Amino acid sequence: METPAFTPAMFLAVLPELGLLVLAGLVLFADILLRRRRERDLGLLTFGGLLLVAGLTLVFSRPNLVPELVFGGMLRMDWATYVFRLVFLIGAAISVLFTMDSDRRIRGGAFYLLVIVSTLGMNLMAASADLIMLYLAIETTSIPLYVLSGALVRDQKSTEAGIKYMLFGAFTSALMLYGFSLLYGFTGTTQMYALKDMFDTGAIPTAALVLVALLILIGFSFKISAVPFHFWAPDVYEGAPTPVAGYLSTASKAAGFAVLLRFLAVVFPDLYPSWLLVAILAVSSMIAGNVLAMTQKNIKRLLAYSSIAQAGYMLIGVAAGTELGYTSSIFYLISYLVTNLAAFGIVVIVGRTVGSDEIASYAGLSRRSPGLALALMVALLSLGGVPPFAGFIGKLFVFAAAVQADMIWLALVGIVNAVFALYYYLVVLKVVWLNRSENEEEKIPVTRPWALAVVVCVAGMLLLGTLFAPWYQWAMQAATAF
Amino acid sequence: MTIQQVFFLAVAAITLFAAVMVVSTRRIMHAALWLILALFGVAVSFALLETGFFAVVQVVVYIGAIAILIIFAVMLTRQVFLDVGPQLNRGWWIPAVLVAGLYAALVGVLSTWSGFQTQAAALPEAASDLSQFGLALVDVNAYAVPFEVASVLLLGALVGAIFVASDRKGVER
Amino acid sequence: MLIEYVPLIIITTLAVILAILVVILGALFGPRRPTARKSAPYESGMTPFGAAQRRITVRYYLVAMLFILFDVETIFFLPWAVAFRQLGLFGLIEMFIFIGVLIVGYIYAWKKGALEWE
Repeated sequence: METPAFTPAMFLAVLPELGLLVLAGLVLFADILLRRRRERDLGLLTFGGLLLVAGLTLVFSRPNLVPELVFGGMLRMDWATYVFRLVFLIGAAISVLFTMDSDRRIRGGAFYLLVIVSTLGMNLMAASADLIMLYLAIETTSIPLYVLSGALVRDQKSTEAGIKYMLFGAFTSALMLYGFSLLYGFTGTTQMYALKDMFDTGAIPTAALVLVALLILIGFSFKISAVPFHFWAPDVYEGAPTPVAGYLSTASKAAGFAVLLRFLAVVFPDLYPSWLLVAILAVSSMIAGNVLAMTQKNIKRLLAYSSIAQAGYMLIGVAAGTELGYTSSIFYLISYLVTNLAAFGIVVIVGRTVGSDEIASYAGLSRRSPGLALALMVALLSLGGVPPFAGFIGKLFVFAAAVQADMIWLALVGIVNAVFALYYYLVVLKVVWLNRSENEEEKIPVTRPWALAVVVCVAGMLLLGTLFAPWYQWAMQAATAF
Repeated sequence: MTIQQVFFLAVAAITLFAAVMVVSTRRIMHAALWLILALFGVAVSFALLETGFFAVVQVVVYIGAIAILIIFAVMLTRQVFLDVGPQLNRGWWIPAVLVAGLYAALVGVLSTWSGFQTQAAALPEAASDLSQFGLALVDVNAYAVPFEVASVLLLGALVGAIFVASDRKGVER
Repeated sequence: MLIEYVPLIIITTLAVILAILVVILGALFGPRRPTARKSAPYESGMTPFGAAQRRITVRYYLVAMLFILFDVETIFFLPWAVAFRQLGLFGLIEMFIFIGVLIVGYIYAWKKGALEWE
């Protein structure tokens, strides 16, 4: 047999994954060789490695303008893959920064390895163009995340979070897999870009496709925590170690969106009911998320419900189904990534000193650490969609997309929701800035990695909210590449 | 009906019965044993589909390894071998209706599909050849990437298992 | 072809019949004079101490987990080995990558003391 054609283009196509694999090996060996007290260096190694991989990806894995399928149609090199890969890598790097000085129990090499493996899975999720590859990528992402959520092994809530996440995940991925198997049964192919041609022959009843779309959408809705498949989110975010919760609510959600967008755009573009389903998901997520967030006493649960609502806003762009719609969703995702990472990061920092995640314990934060209070204000205002921060531009584009796609009702629901949502963000800010507490003298220490991460996130929010043109350009290139 | 069909129906009935017993029996160890029977039924189904390799995989991995893991996991628990609480909650009929509806819809829809009635084409001779599978597994234009990713997934699972199960009394905060 | 499975079915059936037959024959024709010692679960073994249903250590879980992983690896070996002659160098390299990733995990497990049994 002649040597199989392994071209340099193929090598570049999986460069980020190879980089992550090498990094995983380095972290494991470093964990064995380094002494126990040097756990911090492991975090630095992981952070540096992730940044390096992101840099290499940025420079060398830039796709051609013409998208191409590589590895026999398993992966697709296009701008969507490229942009999402960078999003995951940067999200993971920031999460690692927040992890470095947090709870001692989660700083070992195993923890960082799981983060790396799950990031690798996300990269492949964004690149997958084949059902088998996609399923494997989703599992590679999920299994480390189940363990990470339950990482505080002797903490009841964390264990519960891990188990709950795993049970929900296993159940929804079984449904999704059933949908995949039906697709294969109908068409005889697992290649996503070949599926649509088979549908167009008309041999498969539309009703069957709607059912399949429903099954698969359930799987994706779980990943993005859209209502009614959101039940796991508040409990898992509350119980999981806070850096993990931040990672789950941003990178993992972005991965879900990457797959959802590609699937809808490539496999079911002509299936109207599937778009209607997405619109319903969007509306229910926004309303349920915002209403439930109002009554929360724990900041992690509040952020969990808020992130459910945020998924709803992003789904508006998806439901619009136009180029502008996809673009706005991807832009929203990027802005949401920096915003929510900052919010969860501040919860990590404050929780480390205060020892509680209750909103009441944030009283007097503006005096204990003015910088953190300011950063939290920026993050929450950005989540609430106030200019000049990233969240505002994101919402603007999403609503514009809905209007452009003749879904004015959807835009209206979104706007009303955004206004109401501002209420609970402001309640938190009121506690931070106006309420007093007894131990205001006690400062909240912010270590260097934490400060760096917060500064990067805040800068990101400002940058995306003001000089948004280049990022919007990227989002558009990604959106048109599917 | 051919002998094959009768055989299939018998195997399917046994598999389903065992699966129902897994979730309905009150003794958790019995549930694990019923699970083995259900998994074995699946293995026989693979054999009926003329994919002998997968039947072997099913037996070696699921019955040989995963069932053992499940039995170990049961033995790890605090002697709660007998479930005494109620097995259904008040809302049990809601998912029952949903699932029944989904099943009815699937069967109804599938019966309208032309492929449902046609006889499956006979597998080519090479399909049962294990070397074809091996070739596809490492062919960069076939399944090389999923093959390598599988090893990464296993690595993640291994490290995750160590992370969860290793005793960390010394690292308590 | 399914005809290949016929011997398997025959031997399974024979085994089941034999097992049932032995028990029935023993029950029908065997003399029965029970004493306390004879009624113990394992007459020839050790006298049982403690309950059978006690908790086992979590280490068994780790061992079982390791076993699953290498079981799966073996499964992947099989088709690869069958096609080995046609695969050439490239197939060998790919398999080495596959094994290499798992070996790293194995070394990690070893060094972290997951295999130790204090």
